[in-house]
Amino acid sequence: MAITRRELFTSMVKAGLPAAVVVTVGAETSEEHVPVPNAAVGLLYDATVCIGCKACVAACAEANDTPPDTRGDELHQAPTDLNDLTRNIIKLYKPTDGSPASFAKRQCMHCLDPACAAGCPFQALHKDPETGIVSWTADKCIGCRYCTITCPYHVPRFQWQGFNPRVTKCELCKHRLERGLKPGCTSVCPTGAVIFGARTVLLLEAKRRIKENPGRYYQNRVYGENDNGGTQALYLSRVPFEKLGLPELGVESVPARTLRWQRRLYQYFALPALLYVGLVQVIRKSLKGHEHEAIENEKRTGLRAQL
Amino acid sequence: MSEPLNDNRWERAVPVYGFPVITRFFLALAVLIAMAFVLSGYRELAGLGPVSGMNDAFGWGIWKTFNVMVLTALGSGAFAVGISAWVFRRKHMFSLMRMALLTSFLAYACGLLLLGIDAGRPWNFYWIVFPWKWNMHSPLAEVAICMSIYAMLPLAIENVPPVLERLWYFDSRLRPTVEKIEKRLHSVFPWVISLAYLLPGMHQSSLGALMLLAGERVHPLWQTPWLPFLYLGAAMFMSFGCVAGTTMLCCLVWKRAMDMDVLTEAAEITSWLIFGWQALRIVDILYRGAIGTAFRFDRFAGVFWIETLLVVAGGILLYQSVRSRDPQPMFLGYILSSLAGMIYRFSPTTLAFRPNPEALYFPATIEIVVSLGFISLGVAGFLVAVKRLAILPAPLNAWYDMANYFRFRRPYIRWTGYFQGGYFGSDAHKAEAKSD
Repeated sequence: MAITRRELFTSMVKAGLPAAVVVTVGAETSEEHVPVPNAAVGLLYDATVCIGCKACVAACAEANDTPPDTRGDELHQAPTDLNDLTRNIIKLYKPTDGSPASFAKRQCMHCLDPACAAGCPFQALHKDPETGIVSWTADKCIGCRYCTITCPYHVPRFQWQGFNPRVTKCELCKHRLERGLKPGCTSVCPTGAVIFGARTVLLLEAKRRIKENPGRYYQNRVYGENDNGGTQALYLSRVPFEKLGLPELGVESVPARTLRWQRRLYQYFALPALLYVGLVQVIRKSLKGHEHEAIENEKRTGLRAQL
Repeated sequence: MSEPLNDNRWERAVPVYGFPVITRFFLALAVLIAMAFVLSGYRELAGLGPVSGMNDAFGWGIWKTFNVMVLTALGSGAFAVGISAWVFRRKHMFSLMRMALLTSFLAYACGLLLLGIDAGRPWNFYWIVFPWKWNMHSPLAEVAICMSIYAMLPLAIENVPPVLERLWYFDSRLRPTVEKIEKRLHSVFPWVISLAYLLPGMHQSSLGALMLLAGERVHPLWQTPWLPFLYLGAAMFMSFGCVAGTTMLCCLVWKRAMDMDVLTEAAEITSWLIFGWQALRIVDILYRGAIGTAFRFDRFAGVFWIETLLVVAGGILLYQSVRSRDPQPMFLGYILSSLAGMIYRFSPTTLAFRPNPEALYFPATIEIVVSLGFISLGVAGFLVAVKRLAILPAPLNAWYDMANYFRFRRPYIRWTGYFQGGYFGSDAHKAEAKSD
C-alpha cells in the first residue's frame, strides 16, 4: 500500500514543526558573528611606498628556514607566484596604457573569519583566538587541499612532490614573535612599505596616511578593514585593489555569506535528528507491510522469501 | 486483482547462472585494477605532482571530482530508489532494491578507497574517530565523515541479506544460524534503513556545499545558494538512471525478461525528478540574473547548453517511454539524463571553475589509469556479485530454470547452492530429506 496522504502529512508536521522552530530560533549562529581577536597582530602594506626590491621574499624564506626557490633558472631565487617554498612574494602590476603601475606584496591575509579554517575538516588550519594568526598543523592535515579551493586570495599552497607533503602559508613568523622579533619581511623592508604591529594601531596609521595624502590612495580606503569580514593584513594602494590580486568580496566574510544555510540546518544537529526519528516511524510501518507481503508470497510460491 | 496480466513480472532475484565469472572482459578489468594498485603505490612514494595533472590552481583532480563527486551520485540508488520504495511505498521499486544497494555500495567503496589515495597525508585520517576534533561546520568534514559511516555501516548492512541467503541455500547446517542472524537484522532494519536515507541526503547535498566556499570562482551559471539542493536532485535522477539502466543492460546482456511495469514506473519517477530539477535550476538562474552569461560564446555557455539539452532530451524520452512502454527510448533517456547529471556534477569543480590567475587542468595518464582502475574494481565486483548472489530481478520461472540447469546440466557444481532448495521449494526439500 502506498503511503497515505494523511500519514505523510502527519509525519511531516511531526518532524517539520519543531525543526522550523529550531531553524528560526537558532537563526543567528555564533559563527556568523566575527569577533576581532584581543591581541590581533597584522601587517600594513603600502604599495605606494614599495620599491619592489624583493628583500622581503628572501628574508621570508630565511626566517622560515626554507631553501631558496631556484626552480626558475637555477641561479636566482625567482619564484613567479606563491608556492610550496614561497610564503611571501612581490609582484608587479604594469598596465600597457601608461597608467600608474604598482608593486603588490602577497602573503596570507589572516582573515578574521578565514575560509580555509572554515572548510578544513579536522582543524589543521586554525585561527589563534589571541593573536588571530592562521596557522597550519601538520599532525591534523589529511592533505585534502580544500584550503587551496576555498581561500579567496589563493594563498595556501600544497607541496606536490614527495610522500609527506605540507601546506605552505605565511604564519606571520609566529616562531619569531615568540622570541620578541618581528616577522622576516617587515624586519628587512628598506622603505617601510610593510610594517608589523597590532591591527588597531596599523588601522590608525593607515587612516592617518590617507588623511595626510588625499587623492593618493585608491578610494581613500584601507583594504582589509571590512573586506571579507576584515583581515589582519591591511593594504593601501594607488591602483584598484583588484589589480593587486585582492578581489572585492564585500563586507561579509566568505564563510558567513556562503555557509549561512548550511550552518543553520546543521545547528546542534537538531534537524537531521528529527528527520531521522520521522523516517524510522515511516519505515517501521513499511517494513511491517513488506514482511507481510513476503510471507504471503512464500506461501503462494513455496520459495523462501527474499526481503 | 485489477492489474493486467504480466508474464514478465519480476518476483524474485535470481543469480546470473550459466555464464563464467572469468571472461576476457573480466581479465581486462583485472589488469586495469592491478595497474591502478601498483600506480597508487608509486603515488604514495612520489607524491601527487608526478602522477597527476593537479596544480596550485586546480587543487582537485578527477579522483575527487569524477570518481567521488560524479560516481557516488550515480551510486545514490540505495538512497533515491530506496526512498521511493520504503518511504513512499512504491511497491514495484522493491524489485530494483538489490540492484540499487549493490551499485551504491560498490560506487561508494571504490570512491572512498580512491579518496584515501588522493589525500596527501592519509595517515592523519585517524582523527575521524575523535568527534571533538571535527570541524562541525565544514562541508568537507561532513562529506568525509558521513560518507565513510554510510558506506561502512548502513549500506554494508543493507547488502548483507543476499549473502546470508546464499549461505542459507549453500548448506542446510548453516540454516539455523543464518535464520537467527536474519531475525536480528530485521529487528534493527528500521533504524539502519532510516540512517541509510538520512546520511546520503546529508552528504550528497554537502558535496554541493563544498563549492559554495569557492565563491566567485565558480561560474555564475552554477554558483548558487541552491547548489547543495541541486546536487542532491541530480544525484536522485542520476541514480535512478544508473539502477534502472544497469538492470535493463543486464537483461539485454544475459537475455532476461524485462518487467515493463517496474521499468515504466521508474521511468515515470525519473522523468518527473528531471523536470522538477531542471525547472528549479532555470528559475534559480533567472532569479539571480545569470541567464545573460548563457548566451556568451565561451566554454561555460557551451557546457551549460550541452547539460540542458541532454537532460531535457533525456526527460522527454523517458516521459514518452512511459506512454509507449518501449524500452528502447527509455534506455536512451536514462543514458542522456545520467550523462547530463554527470557533467553537471563535474562542472563546478572543473569545467566551470575559474581560478585566478587563469590556469588549465587536464588529468595525467597515470591519473586516468588509476581512475579507470578503481571504476573497474567496481564493475568487476558487480560482475562477481550478480553471478554469485541473487541480485538481478527476474520472473519466477527464471528461478525454476536455474534450478533445472544446476540439477540436470551441471550436477557436479555443488557450491552454487541455490538449486538445492530451489526446484521443489523449501518445504518440498524438507520432505525429501525426511524420506531419505
